Amino acid sequence: MPSLLEDLQNNPLAQATLVLSALPLLALLAWAIWQPKLFLLALKNLRRNSLRTALTCLATLVLVLMATLILTVVVTLDRFTTEKARDFKLVVTERWQLPSQMPLTHAHYLDPSSPSFMLDRSEIGPNDFMTWSFYGGTLDPGKMTRENIVFFFVMNPKHIIPMMDDMQDLDPALIAKLEKNRQGCLLGRERLEAINKRVGERIKVTSMNYKGIDLELEIVGELPRGRYNTTGIMNESYFNQELERYARTKGKHPLDSKRLNLVWLRVRDRATFEKVAQQIETASVFADRPVKCETASSGIATWLEPFQSLLWGMKWVLVPAILASMALVVANAIAISVRERRAEMAVMKVLGYRPRQILCLVLGESLLVGGGSGFLAAFLAWFTINAVGGLPFPMLWFQYFMIPTQALFWGLAMGFVTAFLGSALPAWTARSVKVSEVFAKVA
Amino acid sequence: MSAPAIVRVRDVHKYFTRGSERIDVLQDLNLEVMEGEFLGLMGPSGSGKTTLLNLIAGLDQPSEGEVWIGDRLVSRMSEGELAQWRTRNIGFIFQFYHLLPVLTAYENVELPLLLLPLTAAERKRQVLTALDLVGLSARLSHRPGQLSGGQQQRVGIARAVVTDPTLIVADEPTGDLDARSAEEILALLDELQRSLKKTILLVTHDPRAAGHAHRVLHLEKGQLVETARAADETRIKLG
Ligand SMILES: Nc1ncnc2c1ncn2[C@@H]1O[C@H](COP(=O)(O)OP(=O)(O)OP(=O)(O)O)[C@@H](O)[C@H]1O
Ligand SMILES: [Mg+2]
Repeated sequence: MPSLLEDLQNNPLAQATLVLSALPLLALLAWAIWQPKLFLLALKNLRRNSLRTALTCLATLVLVLMATLILTVVVTLDRFTTEKARDFKLVVTERWQLPSQMPLTHAHYLDPSSPSFMLDRSEIGPNDFMTWSFYGGTLDPGKMTRENIVFFFVMNPKHIIPMMDDMQDLDPALIAKLEKNRQGCLLGRERLEAINKRVGERIKVTSMNYKGIDLELEIVGELPRGRYNTTGIMNESYFNQELERYARTKGKHPLDSKRLNLVWLRVRDRATFEKVAQQIETASVFADRPVKCETASSGIATWLEPFQSLLWGMKWVLVPAILASMALVVANAIAISVRERRAEMAVMKVLGYRPRQILCLVLGESLLVGGGSGFLAAFLAWFTINAVGGLPFPMLWFQYFMIPTQALFWGLAMGFVTAFLGSALPAWTARSVKVSEVFAKVA
Repeated sequence: MSAPAIVRVRDVHKYFTRGSERIDVLQDLNLEVMEGEFLGLMGPSGSGKTTLLNLIAGLDQPSEGEVWIGDRLVSRMSEGELAQWRTRNIGFIFQFYHLLPVLTAYENVELPLLLLPLTAAERKRQVLTALDLVGLSARLSHRPGQLSGGQQQRVGIARAVVTDPTLIVADEPTGDLDARSAEEILALLDELQRSLKKTILLVTHDPRAAGHAHRVLHLEKGQLVETARAADETRIKLG
């Protein structure tokens, strides 16, 4: 979850609600300093019919709470989808065969750090490349149960953090360990439990797909929990070294020139994708072992499609509807209190109070109620829901939604804006009260 | 008479329109009130007494004619100017007191002073003086709901005089009070006129209340008629 500062820099909603809460707050503050007695009068007026004030606050509270929860889900999913859309990856696989098994040389042409790189370096940077080989094996060849099986992505440790999903929080120290210890490996939580091993222990793996390439690995760390719970990652240099050793002693392994399963490239956008894919698919260097290119994010994008309209509806129908009900609640309460106090406002005019001062009095009362309960609602949501570990609302990959800190501004802004909209008309009525009509006997 | 007229109402015409109907309330009305005078204004209900007071206090504009208070042409001032002018020059006393229920007696009296450029200390002194004048020094922190009708009206009077206005306008100030409280209020108005030299315009239905005035005018069919008896009294009092 981004910090408040990041949100204020990047998120338009956070910026807008900051402004919409700061302006009324400053206005109220200025008013309280400029005319403290009138400010106090507004507070006292709120206490006059405390039941009505309490009910108005309660209604605002409940509605802001609802809107905050909805906005939390919307904002979180929004951010997720835009992040996914920005992370546009291209996957190179063997064209005519499943599973894809390419020669290792294919990778040289696509690796930006290799001299034979064939693509545009301004489009594919050193951190935009990754290769995967799949290596699976068992810890006990005599008893091949599911508990004994381990599965590895064989890759360059350098590529893990920049290229793999949800690895941005992986401890860089683990990468360093993996690079230093060529026989090192990382395993997911569930796998570690299944094979009953701990970090620091060694395992001996008898391969299932690379017959005769049996490896001795040391578990140097655990993978982040979640999607990597059942997998492992190992260093490609150890794997390649064992294949070379096999070739020296027993001749080339049957899978020697088929050891590359996937190549990943990150591209900026769809246009770059089309261009790079075209370059790769028509390259003469791949002519004898043709490849194809697919996007990795298009799958996610189509999967998210049905949710898009739901999100749109939540954002542009549900939330505005809630805000409108809030404004109506406020309008009703303030209109009643203005009607009850017509004579008082007339008296203030007789004493010399200006129409705008009376307008401020009504607006001020309403902003105090709206802003106060709006902030309270957002604060309660933020504090209590985050304290219990988030809002349980399973959707897509999410189990829980954390209320972002910017929600405090949402609450204030929603309270202020609806209070303002709701009280604008009653305040204008109060401002235009005609003394002569209030006090003359209009028979 | 040597004292200049502080209130001059010249050929004032006031009508209200309700739908297509036009109600003429005041017609070719002329009135002069001398500085320091205590003027009584009587007349049947609906005759336009409140309407006249509203015109004089700048709360409404005449349909035709001019209203002068001192050297200001009130009937031509903008609403903003009027508001400012009213704070300093007019003290209004209402039949139903019209105190703000959420404020204490002290705060109610202070309310008009908040509009003037005074220090907190000056404000406090003026509020205390006004409340002392009406004999409510011991009720400063009482809310209107905790005061009797007579006491509330005295707070109303304190609020009317606290800015030291030249003209005090009272619209049936005793209409809602029992005889004894009414007498106390009228005595207070006498006091304001006598020792503070305030000009007072008193609207009343009660002949006894009118008896406190130097001069009593009757509003009938949109015009003012001076009654002989009241005129006698005027002569006696001023003489
Ligand atoms: N704002 C207004 N709109 C329409 N008609 C009005 C308005 N103000 C006063 N009137 C009418 O003008 C007439 C005079 O009203 P006003 O209140 O001045 O009477 P009043 O002499 O003060 O009566 P009362 O002794 O009952 O207080 C009434 O017929 C009233 O209905
Ligand atoms: Mg009247």
